[in-house]
Amino acid sequence: MRKRLISLMAAAAISVPVAVQAGELRIGYTTDALTLDPHNHRNRTTQTIIRNMYDGLVTRDSNMKVVPQLAEYLKVIDKTTYEVKLQAGATFHDGSPITAEDVKYTFERLTKDGAIGGKTSPRKSLVGPVKRVDVIDARTARIILETPWPQFPAFLTLHEIVSKKFTEAQGADGLSTKVMGSGPFKLVEWRKGDLIIMERYDGYYGGSPALPPQAKACSERVIFKIIPENASRVAALLAGDVDLINDLPAHAISQVKNNPNTDVVTVNGTRSYFIAMNSETGPFADKRVRQAVSHAIDRQLIIDRIMNGNGTLIDGILSPDAFGKNKNLPRLAYDPAKAKSLMAVAGYPNGIEVVLDVKSELKEIAEAIGSLLTKAGIRTQVQVGEVSQLRKKWRTKGKPKTGDLWITSWGNGTLDPVGIFVPTHRTDDRGNSAGYANAEFDALLDAAGIEPDTAKRAALYQKAEAMATNDAPYAYLWVTKDLYGVSRRLTGFRPSSDGRINLHDACVK
Amino acid sequence: MSFGKLIERLAQLIPVLLGVSVIVFFMMALTPGDPVEIMIGDSNVTLEQEARLRSDLGLDRPPVERFFVFLKNAVSGDFGLSFYHRRPVSEVIAERLPATIELSLVALLLALFTSVPLGVLAAVWKNTFLDRLATVGSLFGVSLPGFWFGILLLMLFSVRLHILPVSGRIGYEFEVAPITHLLLIDTLLQGRFDAFANALKHIIMPAVVLGLPMAAILTRVTRTSMLEVLSQDYIIFAEAKGLSRRRILVRHALKNALIPTVTVAALQTGSLLGGNMIVETVFGWPGLGRLVVESIFLRNYPLVQAAVLLYAVTYVTLNFLADILYTVLNPRVRL
Amino acid sequence: MSGALARAAGGGKMADESPFRRNIRLFLSSRLSTVSAAVVLGFVVLAVAAPLFAPQDPNETDLLRRLQPPVWMAGGEWGYLLGCDALGRDILSRIIYGARISIFIGIFVVLMATCIGIVAGLAAGYLRGWTDVVISRLVDILLGFPYLIFAIALIAMMGPGLQNLLLALVYKEWVVPCRLVRGETLAAREVEYVEAARALGASRRHIMLREILPNILSPVIVVSTIRVAHVIILEASLSFLGLGVQPPTASWGSMVADGRSYMLESWWVSTFPGLAILLLVLAINVASQGLRDAFDPKFHD
Repeated sequence: MRKRLISLMAAAAISVPVAVQAGELRIGYTTDALTLDPHNHRNRTTQTIIRNMYDGLVTRDSNMKVVPQLAEYLKVIDKTTYEVKLQAGATFHDGSPITAEDVKYTFERLTKDGAIGGKTSPRKSLVGPVKRVDVIDARTARIILETPWPQFPAFLTLHEIVSKKFTEAQGADGLSTKVMGSGPFKLVEWRKGDLIIMERYDGYYGGSPALPPQAKACSERVIFKIIPENASRVAALLAGDVDLINDLPAHAISQVKNNPNTDVVTVNGTRSYFIAMNSETGPFADKRVRQAVSHAIDRQLIIDRIMNGNGTLIDGILSPDAFGKNKNLPRLAYDPAKAKSLMAVAGYPNGIEVVLDVKSELKEIAEAIGSLLTKAGIRTQVQVGEVSQLRKKWRTKGKPKTGDLWITSWGNGTLDPVGIFVPTHRTDDRGNSAGYANAEFDALLDAAGIEPDTAKRAALYQKAEAMATNDAPYAYLWVTKDLYGVSRRLTGFRPSSDGRINLHDACVK
Repeated sequence: MSFGKLIERLAQLIPVLLGVSVIVFFMMALTPGDPVEIMIGDSNVTLEQEARLRSDLGLDRPPVERFFVFLKNAVSGDFGLSFYHRRPVSEVIAERLPATIELSLVALLLALFTSVPLGVLAAVWKNTFLDRLATVGSLFGVSLPGFWFGILLLMLFSVRLHILPVSGRIGYEFEVAPITHLLLIDTLLQGRFDAFANALKHIIMPAVVLGLPMAAILTRVTRTSMLEVLSQDYIIFAEAKGLSRRRILVRHALKNALIPTVTVAALQTGSLLGGNMIVETVFGWPGLGRLVVESIFLRNYPLVQAAVLLYAVTYVTLNFLADILYTVLNPRVRL
Repeated sequence: MSGALARAAGGGKMADESPFRRNIRLFLSSRLSTVSAAVVLGFVVLAVAAPLFAPQDPNETDLLRRLQPPVWMAGGEWGYLLGCDALGRDILSRIIYGARISIFIGIFVVLMATCIGIVAGLAAGYLRGWTDVVISRLVDILLGFPYLIFAIALIAMMGPGLQNLLLALVYKEWVVPCRLVRGETLAAREVEYVEAARALGASRRHIMLREILPNILSPVIVVSTIRVAHVIILEASLSFLGLGVQPPTASWGSMVADGRSYMLESWWVSTFPGLAILLLVLAINVASQGLRDAFDPKFHD
């Protein structure tokens, strides 16, 4: 026992505490990663953390355009064949070059059933119809699809390349806690539920040629500190314990701005918020009742007061930045008297009793909306439910639903109507929680989906959006801004619309 | 307690643990909501891919069959894969458990070290100011809602005064080689006093909030049993014999008076382990409680089952130990 | 209860009063107990007659009053004494209405649990045999679950809402009185008058309900009052985790939870409801300690 103690003391003498270094960047982040295996999760926040240690073949620039990252280029050979050539100096964290074999291995791990220790990657459905990968030479590979799929490059941004040699040596579970990536940072330590510590990879090839500077990362060390409580996260920023926090609550904006050392950075989000109304049965089958809901809600007041102005009102599902947005949609403006008269005309002069479903994150907004609806005679009971309960209630794909109103949202990182219009509005599609069914509208969407001419395609979507707004299956609310609190000493951080936190150029001066 | 009796008591634990397994398993199985649906969310997944995910998690088989598979594997210590972490549940729990154990132990020690002296002195100086202070203090202790008290402490000491850290177990700048995985002990073993002080600063607020109700209960138990012992014949007899009061207290009264305290402390430790998810949430403590609550919401069945079973085993074991302690310490029960 | 208290306080006869009356008199002779009983009573009155006391509609939102500070701070108003929450609702009114939920849940759960616990405990303690084995094992199993986790899992299973919340708490709470009653019954069944009744051929039901129950009721009542305080904190904790009563119904726990994100700049949103919990629970605890001191023969001189 004594011997053991002495040897421990000796070990301790070597491991002196690491002093707080210049070039250290600390992030107060809401949730811990579930795993560090880039192919074995289905979780956006996990990917945000992982992406700083792993690069993908392609990525997005600050305008959300798809640009090559590890790839020198991504070339379309034909409708089902893409060719990638890897950058010359790209290496994994052990210094070994990234080869076409690693690309092939990555896709096999993502798409083959049972490829991860007998289990299938939960990200498989995000890869698309990849049939196989042909290795052309050490740095060139061809990805062959089963069927044409124009969104392939956009979805390719979601996947990271792993090292074949390392992964095979580590076994099925190895990557869940160990990292052999090609990103700007290497893993130092993961204290689960508490911290993830990374350090700069000095052999970094420089990243995407489209995102200068092409150099190793600016910060020497990056620490993700997990702080789930909003007030604590803000407090940590104000106190200088961290240099960057995600998910800054809107009500803390003035406090962060008034602090001489901190500031707020915003980016237009791509997530549209709306209230789904059960158009299949009950009072909301009547268009006039659905319109009354929109007239009863003072959206601008909620944006101004609760969100501190960090939102943009929408009259259709598309975000103002989206392709094919109809800028001339009629507005169902706040007008409680009109809402009441619409209700009366629809046969409900004494109002109705409804339940507004909501997930706990939106509870406050739901309560504000519920009380506005109640004032207009739509007596609303807010019910906070979990995802699974809500999914049972608001079944899609043509299965019957049982809810009245549901305040929810849909993200559209690509800003292309395909990503949001089709799932939420096309008859019986996977996100059509309102149960909207309009054959004429479906035909417009389908026509737009295959229209090669950009201008004509935009026109088709504009027509479709006008039609949807007129039918009012949803009460469209707003698109929010994402808020980050930053230290004024932080440079080189540009928030991204898809919620990723790219720390390559970020550093504390 | 005879050996046979011991075996009998141990045998009684088996139906209890079995019952806990049955209840927790079917509670989770009957809970509406499908982990696969939660996992894939809004994204476009074909039916075939969905079925594949489901069979990967073993959810395609009927609940009863799943239960027996669970039981069979649980006996050999295999609790399956955590759906979301995609690693063995035992591994995920083992990573979070030390933080929870450390927090509970510190809370327990805090409770013992405040309640025993306070309870004893309150009994010795009955009806004095100190006695009343102990009474009022312990009433406050059981009445403070932990989640609220925790927030207040956090706001005061971390945000306003900025003398204690906001969340976590230890500063990121300290890398401590794991030996016992309990940071306070590991830092001391390695002679890292700065790291020890840092870890102490992190644990103090959550431990106070967690330990307070227990300290309150133990103070009352100690005071009551001390009063009872002091009124016993042998104490009065000793006093009559002219032994010094101090000697009587330390040599005779204290030993007997602490029997109920130790027993109750053992029993209450179980509730410390199970009752800390609120404290962990408020203080961002990377322990098991937070993970279990998250897992219930995400329908991460294997993790919930294993964790509840772990809680039950702990409770049952502590109960058992408390019984033994009671018999060993108390000569009158030995018959 | 309040009527009994008043009558007991009025009756001043010391010589031939019933044990119950004497206990009540003892209880009221402690100033602290009397004050705390009055506080509890005050909360009950506040809850029952909430519409009379609340200055505002508790669910009336007014975003223009969002996070308005209490009256003594700059920007406060007399109509909104303790300020407003994030939706501009009056905090005082919500605390007053929130007392309804806390007190109702506390009393209802403990009452239900005590009824179940008495029946199960009597049966286990008096009938012994298989009944005892089954009930005692069930009690052991339920004790193996941490309270909050059990309640959270049950609510996840049954869905949120007041009714399910009550059930989730009762399912576990009955274990407490059951253990107590069983223990007391085991002791009481060997007492002479019970044996006498048995010898006289009284039915088991008669013995359990008429002979044993009245004699073990005192400790059960004392423990039940403490449990009310405990259940109130549990409900608040569940509401804090978002599993309590549904909005917009005011509940102290969810008021604390909703306000914690604003703690940095608007401390009043969560501080006052927390104080309300503390005050009520403290009063109940003090009162029940007074009750115990009065009812427990060990503390009589």
